[in-house]
Amino acid sequence: MPALIEGRGLAKTYRLGQVDVAALRGVDVDVAAGEFIAITGPSGSGKSTLMHILGCLDTPTAGSYRLDGEDVSGLSGKRLAHVRNRKVGFVFQTFNLMPRLTVEENVALPLKYRGGVPRGERRLRALRLLERLGLGDRVGHRPDELSGGERQRVAIARALVGEPAILMADEPTGNLDSRAGGEVLQTFAELHGAGHTIVLVTHDPNVAGRAERVVQMSDGRVV
Amino acid sequence: MNLLESLLTGLDEARRHWGQTVLSLLGLVLGTGSIVTVLALFGGQTALTEQFLSEVGGRGTIIVSDREQSAHPTARELASKRLTFRDAQYLRDRASALTAVSPGWAEDLPYRAGNTSFEGQVIGTVPDYMAINDIKPLVGRYLSDLDVRLQARVAVLGWKYADSLFGAATRALGQIVSLGGKNYTVVGVMEREEFYFAAWEDNALEYRNERAYIPISTAIVQHSSTDNLDFLTLKAKPAVGGRAAQAQVKSLLYARHGVEDFDIRTSGQGAGQQSGQFLLLFNFIFLVVGVVSLVTGGIVIANILLASVVERVREFGTRMALGATAGAIFAHVLAEVLVVTVMGGLLGLGLGTALTGVVAHFMQMPAVVSPFIATVSLATALSVGLVAGLFPALRAARLAPVEALRYA
Repeated sequence: MPALIEGRGLAKTYRLGQVDVAALRGVDVDVAAGEFIAITGPSGSGKSTLMHILGCLDTPTAGSYRLDGEDVSGLSGKRLAHVRNRKVGFVFQTFNLMPRLTVEENVALPLKYRGGVPRGERRLRALRLLERLGLGDRVGHRPDELSGGERQRVAIARALVGEPAILMADEPTGNLDSRAGGEVLQTFAELHGAGHTIVLVTHDPNVAGRAERVVQMSDGRVV
Repeated sequence: MNLLESLLTGLDEARRHWGQTVLSLLGLVLGTGSIVTVLALFGGQTALTEQFLSEVGGRGTIIVSDREQSAHPTARELASKRLTFRDAQYLRDRASALTAVSPGWAEDLPYRAGNTSFEGQVIGTVPDYMAINDIKPLVGRYLSDLDVRLQARVAVLGWKYADSLFGAATRALGQIVSLGGKNYTVVGVMEREEFYFAAWEDNALEYRNERAYIPISTAIVQHSSTDNLDFLTLKAKPAVGGRAAQAQVKSLLYARHGVEDFDIRTSGQGAGQQSGQFLLLFNFIFLVVGVVSLVTGGIVIANILLASVVERVREFGTRMALGATAGAIFAHVLAEVLVVTVMGGLLGLGLGTALTGVVAHFMQMPAVVSPFIATVSLATALSVGLVAGLFPALRAARLAPVEALRYA
């Protein structure tokens, strides 16, 4: 079975004024379908940069990246947007929900950007996911009417609504208290159990410990 | 995401921050309102001028008048017999573009009836004059062909002169009036003619109430030693049109006179020009206010939109992470501003309509906000919005997803 994520020699160099800063110095990474991995490391180790590249938010300056069998390292911004929409579901530390949209509208948003999905179906899929994540009674609320843990679960529902190949979470428990954080991690564990592929970025060893496999990063390299 | 959905999203955004939306629209509303008012008033004024033209005989009426002899007349000028009754006969025979020819003689003569006397205009003419100028007698009748053939001593009075000479216009019928020392029987009194370009303006047709009409033959025999005329009133065939008829008359008369010793113009040319001066200034002020408001309004919208884009950089980053393309973000921001400006345009249209109503009421002049004006004003508002929204929308669309997400 081919790897879902197949990164070879991934490098990213930023130009800051006159100096080149290497955030990533040649990283090989493979994730099989159904795996739950954690990328961890101290701040500045390149874990966020790696996640951005794996999540198709950014392109590597060197190396190749195949996602779900497709080489995406050289795609245009527009193509990358389509890949993100279909293949990747994002969960952010600060939830990043649209404050003026209802929970249901927030969750359905990726399907809106996909195009061709009728309104009724978008609604249905959003409601089904919210139900599954225990938020069935929150669909009409605005994000600011929810607790932190609930917001993050709404964000997870939004990440899953497009049935992506991988779920990417960037410090998903960073803004939550330990109880809410535990619940969110429990949700990830359940999703993993249901067959989802999860890439989790965290600096917290306890959180990383929940994953099947840990990719430890330091100074732009996997150690 | 298709265009319709972008527009719906834009409408939604505008609805969710109402206060800000309305504030940002103020300039646009004022600007559109002013422009609507200007256009409506201008339209009203044009309609008035048109109405005046039809009042004085309609399009296709041509007036030829005798031109004053120059200070040092040339031989040709001296040789010309000038405008004569024979010219009228000639045009009647030869000018194929005309349906009616009416010779006119005019002179200021003393009027007298009983103890009342004054000096005023007397017009010598033919029955066709009434048809060409679309005037009707209030009582009695107008001049007849028989009057002209018999050189009858009959007069038809303008409403005001009949009123001042005999105390009441209708009482003049059958009375004797002395014009230039010769007695005439009053056989008719014309209807009172009125036309006001604006409430504060004088009656633009008052001159027609202050005159008497007598047969052209009588005028020439009793008050003149020649058959020289002061003017000709002509009516062009509708199929030919005033302009072509005017050209034909000009060349025919030039050939007869050998010199251009006459002026030719269409009736109503320059009509209401002096009365339009004030309105022109008025319209100009409104137009300036409108344009300045629109420009300011556009800048305000662009500014607020830009601030709102900066405020929402992370939101756009998130949308991009969820799969929004740069184009979708661009459409999103532009749709937002378009929805807002259409609302502004509609509000401005409402304001302009109300303003037009008020101005039209106080100035007592017709002014209507036509569908055309509504379309123009909405299109103007929309283009202001497009221009104002372009830069903020580009700015949002050009964000790099990673940086937008990192933006605090």
